[in-house]
Amino acid sequence: MNYQLNWSILWSGQTGGWLLNGLLTTLEISSLAWLLALTLGNVAGALRTAPIPPFRWLASAYVEFFRNVPLLVWMFFWYFGMPPLLPQALQDWLLDHGAEFWAGVCALGVYHGARFSEVIRSGIQSIPKTQFEAAHSTGLTVWQTYRLIIVPIALRLIIPPATNETLNLIKNSSVALTIGVAELTFQTRQIETYTAKAFEALAAGTVVYLVLCLAISTLMAVVERRVAIPGMIAQGNASEF
Amino acid sequence: MDFQVIFNNFRFLILQGFFGFGTFAGGTLRLALPAIVLGFILGTFIGLARLARSRWIHWPARIYVEFFRGVPLVMVIFWFWFIIPALTGKSLPEYAVALTAFVIFEAAYLAEIVRAGIQSVPRGQIEAATATGLSRAQLMRHVVLPQALRNMIPALVTQFIVLLKDTSLASIIGYVDLTKAAQIVNNREIRPFELYLFIALIYWLCSYSMSRYTRRWENRLSPSPS
Amino acid sequence: MKRRFCFWLIVLLCISIADLSRAETTLEKIDKSGTLIIGTRTGSPPFAYVNKNNEWVGFSIDLVEKAILPVLNKKLNKQIKLEKKESAPQTRIPLLQSNAVDLIAETMTDTQSRRDNVDFSLTFFVTGAQFLVKKGGAIKGIQTIAGKRIAAQQGSTNAKIIRERVPSAKLLEFPDQPAAFQALAQGQVQAYTNDGIQLAGLKAKAPKPDDWAGVGEFFSYEPYGIAMRKNDSDFRQAVNVGLMDALASNLYFEIYDKWFGPKGEVPYPLLPETKRFLQMQVVPK
Repeated sequence: MNYQLNWSILWSGQTGGWLLNGLLTTLEISSLAWLLALTLGNVAGALRTAPIPPFRWLASAYVEFFRNVPLLVWMFFWYFGMPPLLPQALQDWLLDHGAEFWAGVCALGVYHGARFSEVIRSGIQSIPKTQFEAAHSTGLTVWQTYRLIIVPIALRLIIPPATNETLNLIKNSSVALTIGVAELTFQTRQIETYTAKAFEALAAGTVVYLVLCLAISTLMAVVERRVAIPGMIAQGNASEF
Repeated sequence: MDFQVIFNNFRFLILQGFFGFGTFAGGTLRLALPAIVLGFILGTFIGLARLARSRWIHWPARIYVEFFRGVPLVMVIFWFWFIIPALTGKSLPEYAVALTAFVIFEAAYLAEIVRAGIQSVPRGQIEAATATGLSRAQLMRHVVLPQALRNMIPALVTQFIVLLKDTSLASIIGYVDLTKAAQIVNNREIRPFELYLFIALIYWLCSYSMSRYTRRWENRLSPSPS
Repeated sequence: MKRRFCFWLIVLLCISIADLSRAETTLEKIDKSGTLIIGTRTGSPPFAYVNKNNEWVGFSIDLVEKAILPVLNKKLNKQIKLEKKESAPQTRIPLLQSNAVDLIAETMTDTQSRRDNVDFSLTFFVTGAQFLVKKGGAIKGIQTIAGKRIAAQQGSTNAKIIRERVPSAKLLEFPDQPAAFQALAQGQVQAYTNDGIQLAGLKAKAPKPDDWAGVGEFFSYEPYGIAMRKNDSDFRQAVNVGLMDALASNLYFEIYDKWFGPKGEVPYPLLPETKRFLQMQVVPK
């Protein structure tokens, strides 16, 4: 390969700033979307196990509808399909305040909310029914049972799969570049446009994603160990048998 | 809305884009099906390696999983596309590159599913099998894996649904899957709404029917908790 | 098992290093494989796109097929096949550098910073950036876009120029034309900037072409060239001879007429000064 690698383009001139900006935008869009996804996912996941059928149907409809359509399509939906339905004043405000960013947050959050709810549902379903019965017999209402017993236990059980989903969400945030959000992948392409150094730009992007994701999975592993309920969840790596 | 564009390009979208018959390297199913099967085989080895006693085996497996969970799939495809010709001097066809990248990437995710499936097999089963004098390999093959596989099926199907949509990432190397086929038509005809609605419908039908089917499996297989 | 894996890895590395040291020229590579591999687009009508019959065609592809391929056939004394791979703005230079393709023929603007990394042929098309707006809109050119929301194509040279010349304009960059056009049609942006020829193509394809207008003087100069690996002058010479022969004979203008003539995909008359410039690139035999 007759190619001279030139790593200095990554910190000379504006490129370093772009990468940093891209990382910040990725973090912003991912964390807002993550909060939205967690909220929606919790509600939908809990409702799907609820004893009241209409709630279950509603939550199932949400999950099946949003999870099974590609994120790319949702990006276009929230960016192009949604604004015309809003009042004119709000539309104008949005257009001046990063409509593409908010559309990206909604698309990512609602889509991953549907995926989170599956994680939460399986977490709740893995809790023995006796827990429900015990809670019920101590006189807790359904709402209290969920709030005080089921969800706190389920949240601990689901840390590993939820970490997975979180990483997926961060990586999927790059789809937002299709509606013009200047996130990390967008910025690595921008560097390529300005310097024509594609390998270096992509390597930088890959490394930044990798470091970000490894940091999160390490953090979540620590959290998992900290909040583990003794005797309930296998401690550490249950690798020996 | 004018759905004429769908009718005019129906063959291209479905045959070329979805199934992969046509002049371009492409096809959503043609990539997703082998990728999940081969990825599962590789993932089983990596998942088993993660559970191995020896540190020399379970650490590399762990690094593999953490690494591929941490990089976007599109970057993996990109690197394969350029590193293979740079190393060998020959460029591989798009399909081979896409499949290799998908198998290697998906194996990391599938390894985790396999591991979780194995860990969900009750300990008593293992102890009982050991007591009957089975070797570790026999124990895995005859006792643990069959039960684990059953527990894994819902997660495997979910992963397959994700994979089905992710094939569009291979379009960076010119692989024409359903999404890319729609984009090609869109670039010529400028009909984004109709085309995206159509592909959304196709993806939705596939994924929904599969998740319905597994829900039935799940209900049949899961031991009732009460 | 692991040791054996390491062994094969080392063998593979040795092979690859050995391979790297023996640099093969592009002409040798084409001679050996009998194929010219080009990187081109699937979504840039009329330069390179997939037509209604699902054939991969276009002006840039025609130039390679009708002007450059015959030169290679003659030079290597055999029939060379043409193979197409898709290139995108972020993959085209790596495609060349990794030997995956031999040349890039699409809508790539020849620039100085790109010339640091690849070599370019003669200029085969000349255009410049303009704006597409709703007819009768307020934007008339680059002087009137301050503070406005402007769409551009990701990876294009136009976005770079706007960012430098009118920093107050709010740029939104989309990866493909239809998305940018949709944003314009819905009023998310007030204008869409791209090379004039691309805008003309877009306008011709739009559901109601008369609602749109391409406005403004060219605010950038976009000479399209064929990109090749750096420092391979024999191959570059072959490509340039092909282009020169086509410009000197009538071939180039026939191909131009097929795509940009009155009955072509995108009618776009060739300006007399552009024609002169193109012809003056031809050096004597």
